[in-house]
Amino acid sequence: MFLRMIKGTLLRQWKKMLMIAFTIALGSSLATAMLGVMLDVGDKVNQELKTYGANITVVPKRASVIGDLYELEDGGTSGAYLKEDELGKIKTIFWAFNIVDYAPFLNAAATLDDGSEVTVVGTWFDHHMDLPTGEQLDAGVVSMRSWWEIESGAWLDEQAGADPDAAMVGTALAQRLGVTAGDTIHVTGSTSDRTLKVVGVYDAGGDEDDQIYVQLGTAQALDSLEGSIDSIEVSALTTPDNELAERAAKDPSSLTVSQYETWYCTAYVSSICYQIQEVITDSVASPVRQVADSEGAILEKTQLLMILITILSLIGAALGICNLVTASVMERASEIGLMKAIGAQNGAVSALVLTEILITAVIGGVAGFFAGWGFAQIIGHSVFGAAINIRPMVIPIVAVLVVLVTLIGSIPAMRMLLRLRPAEVLHGGH
Amino acid sequence: MKKSTMFVRMITASLMRRRSRMVVALLSIAIGATVLSGLVTIYYDVPRQMGAQFRNYGANMILTPSGDSMTLDDVAAGAACIPSDQLVGMTPYRYETVRIRETPVVAAGTDLESAKKTSPFWSVEGEWPSANGELLLGAAVAEQYRLKVGDTIEVTYTPEELADASADPATVTADEMILFDVTGILDTGGSEEDHIYMYMADLETLTGTANKADVAELSVSASGDVLAGYVERVAQGSDAVSARLVKRVTASEATVLSKLQALVLLVTTVVLALTMICVATTMTAVVTERRKEIGLRKAIGASDSSIIKEFMGESMLLGLLGGVLGSMLGFLFAQEVSVHVFSSTISFRPLLVPITIIVSIAVTGLSSLLPIRSATEVDPALVLKGE
Amino acid sequence: MSLLELKNVYKIYGELHALDDVSLKVEKGEWVSIMGPSGSGKSTMMNIIGCMDKPSKGEVLLDGVDISKQSAKELTTIRRDKIGLIFQQFHLVNYLTALENVMLAQYYHSLPDEKEALEALDRVGLADRARHLPSQLSGGEQQRVCVARALINYPEIILADEPTGNLDEANEAIVVDLFHKLHNEGTTLIVVTHDPEVAEVAQRTLVLRSGRLAKEVVNQNFTGQIHFDRS
Repeated sequence: MFLRMIKGTLLRQWKKMLMIAFTIALGSSLATAMLGVMLDVGDKVNQELKTYGANITVVPKRASVIGDLYELEDGGTSGAYLKEDELGKIKTIFWAFNIVDYAPFLNAAATLDDGSEVTVVGTWFDHHMDLPTGEQLDAGVVSMRSWWEIESGAWLDEQAGADPDAAMVGTALAQRLGVTAGDTIHVTGSTSDRTLKVVGVYDAGGDEDDQIYVQLGTAQALDSLEGSIDSIEVSALTTPDNELAERAAKDPSSLTVSQYETWYCTAYVSSICYQIQEVITDSVASPVRQVADSEGAILEKTQLLMILITILSLIGAALGICNLVTASVMERASEIGLMKAIGAQNGAVSALVLTEILITAVIGGVAGFFAGWGFAQIIGHSVFGAAINIRPMVIPIVAVLVVLVTLIGSIPAMRMLLRLRPAEVLHGGH
Repeated sequence: MKKSTMFVRMITASLMRRRSRMVVALLSIAIGATVLSGLVTIYYDVPRQMGAQFRNYGANMILTPSGDSMTLDDVAAGAACIPSDQLVGMTPYRYETVRIRETPVVAAGTDLESAKKTSPFWSVEGEWPSANGELLLGAAVAEQYRLKVGDTIEVTYTPEELADASADPATVTADEMILFDVTGILDTGGSEEDHIYMYMADLETLTGTANKADVAELSVSASGDVLAGYVERVAQGSDAVSARLVKRVTASEATVLSKLQALVLLVTTVVLALTMICVATTMTAVVTERRKEIGLRKAIGASDSSIIKEFMGESMLLGLLGGVLGSMLGFLFAQEVSVHVFSSTISFRPLLVPITIIVSIAVTGLSSLLPIRSATEVDPALVLKGE
Repeated sequence: MSLLELKNVYKIYGELHALDDVSLKVEKGEWVSIMGPSGSGKSTMMNIIGCMDKPSKGEVLLDGVDISKQSAKELTTIRRDKIGLIFQQFHLVNYLTALENVMLAQYYHSLPDEKEALEALDRVGLADRARHLPSQLSGGEQQRVCVARALINYPEIILADEPTGNLDEANEAIVVDLFHKLHNEGTTLIVVTHDPEVAEVAQRTLVLRSGRLAKEVVNQNFTGQIHFDRS
């Protein structure tokens, strides 16, 4: 009978119930969209911030340190290199998934034909890697120097099997030498010389404008440093540092075991640095503060902003739902008066009304969830050009929110209904 | 009694005596208006506020000598071409090779107070130097010489023409020497770690030459075309210095900032649209509740137009109150957000108040018009009987 | 000329003939009851006389004007100027005081006049309850406010639909007494009721059955006496 009554209400009052369901759907879509975007905005903005380039640099342990260790009188600055064949290991660390890009660098000092010195930088441009995990990654300066403007020619394309002699020249140097894409430059390294073909001229707005960029192997050949690299720049998605991360960065051994676990398993820039040091022999990985710190600040601000906007919109949605639920329950005063007149207990009346409202809320809430998911995708695609990844935790949050708000919305109306004396209602006292 | 007096009396009676219902309706309109004024304020404020955050990335413009060298006055003149309220900081640098324990190291003379502003990402262990005779060591230098905070160190300078002969003890004694206290160690993860930083006055004493700068870093809170415009202005305003943009910072900032603004715009649009629909359904419910009353008024002789007038009057009054309340709450909300998120206050936008009020009146008015019309179209007899 | 005349009026809803060829006349100053069981067409007739509905066929002449040919807007004007309505469920605006409810009718009619509205409340014996909200009044008091509201604009006809249906005996007596008073002042009264005792006090009782006028009883004993006594 209970079910029959509920069914009756839902079918007969479908217009009113539709309105409630609609409002609840609006509220729940708002909550879903905002929570979805809010929880994903960190990752999305983090991706965007990758345009600032690497946030971690890896260099060999200082020559001086080695000098000290082995009690060498003259350590010098040369002689310490990282190994090229260890590069792939960076994608094997615990936070490998967060490493979005990296590139090795080798600076070779070379002489031009006019006798002036020039730095020839060997690196990856769009180096293709097939990772042991089955993933594929295109890494290199094409993506890590996104701010470079190509003035003539094009990016050096490694994958298209570029000529080992291909080179890109900085705009300042190109102007000084009067070369442009298609010309050649002859450079002499410490052990061999090369005639480089200029495929592109770039404007970097910095020191690189006086340099020549070539493929890693080409630079190594100039100084006979096969298999060696000077530094690695790594671009990683990181979590903004907190007090723990700062303490760990100074000395990981000062942490307790559980703190260490937390730190190691969180994508702090310091823990990623630590993990890189573990896989690259004799290396020091350190955060590039200009990028890493600013990233943290901007991420934090954006997330906080989104959280506050989300809270505001949730309050708005909650009030809207509350209001409508109150209105619709009040409207049914006479029907409920009748039920009480024919002997329904308060509990039975409340159960009936609440069940009806909750069924409506669930229908509206589910519809709203999918609508909100759609809204989030619209936002994701139009702003970031990527889908918003709605976290599973959004579902229970929205569900609890909808049920709670609906119940709270019914409280004032329920109280009024329970106080009703059947006679008043039936005899037109309104 | 005038008709208008009764009109006002009825509307106030409806608002005052049906207080609990009206308060909820008013609250939901006010929240709608709050969302409107708050989010729009934030939307307009985000570029400025976020722009300030992006200044964490440090200088986005550098001044270099047009010729061989420039003086500090040239730098100041160049920087003066940029409006002072946009200029977050301006730091001149002069680089000279000095010697510590007979090995060369690059020393930068600068204004360390403004370096804090143009390079907010510098992480200093210990203290920033606060007086002449104090020194900030790059982390790599500190490691190389095994120096730590609190140490004192002799720094010497050999004029370039004598540098080749520095091995000769006779000339070394002629060098300027200053005894520095190491107050801090600089960690940036970049090339700054290879330098030592001191006040310009100390470097001038060491070298014996004054009023000279190699480069000046500027942090300007502008992006895109505005920033490019400043480069032009410096080019026109000064012969001695030329300005360049730090592409890495400016290009990336433009990309990220535009994304962020698009994000806030879209979020604002979605939230606003949904909230307005919410307000509309609320108003619809508020009016629908009163179908019977509308029927009664018709039965005792009210014309459709006078009913529409009264109910619209009431809705629009609610809209007005909600709008006024909302524009105040919205400002407070935006202010809270600004203080919590960006630690700065926002400016009040007077234009937003009438806009918020008009929009909220329009939304409440329009959303009640439909149900009022449909209620007046029904026969009063049906409404009154239909219980 | 009669104040109200129905000529061969039909009201048809699909198959159902709610009113089936009804003709009647009501003279100015008359007090007429319309009786009949549920579904006999009472309400339909009341709605038509009250200008809230139009007949499917036939003429309804009120003061010589055929209301079946008027637009909805004109009907509203006629209702406002010539008819005072009293309902079984009272139908007061619940957030307006008794006085304001009376003034509401003035407001739609011409101009609200507080003094006149107070006098009307005084006539129904509620001068001291003028500032109360409907929820603070008893059923009988609410119905008396309705009577005051109905007569405030000096209508040609007061049309009451089950005016005592929701009232106890004491209040019923008060309302019927009010009708007597109004009748003596020359107001035309049409009272729809299914309570024979309320119907019988009128000058004439029309009995409806299945949409047709089945019987007309003239109250021989009608004296216009003030005191209604149920016993």
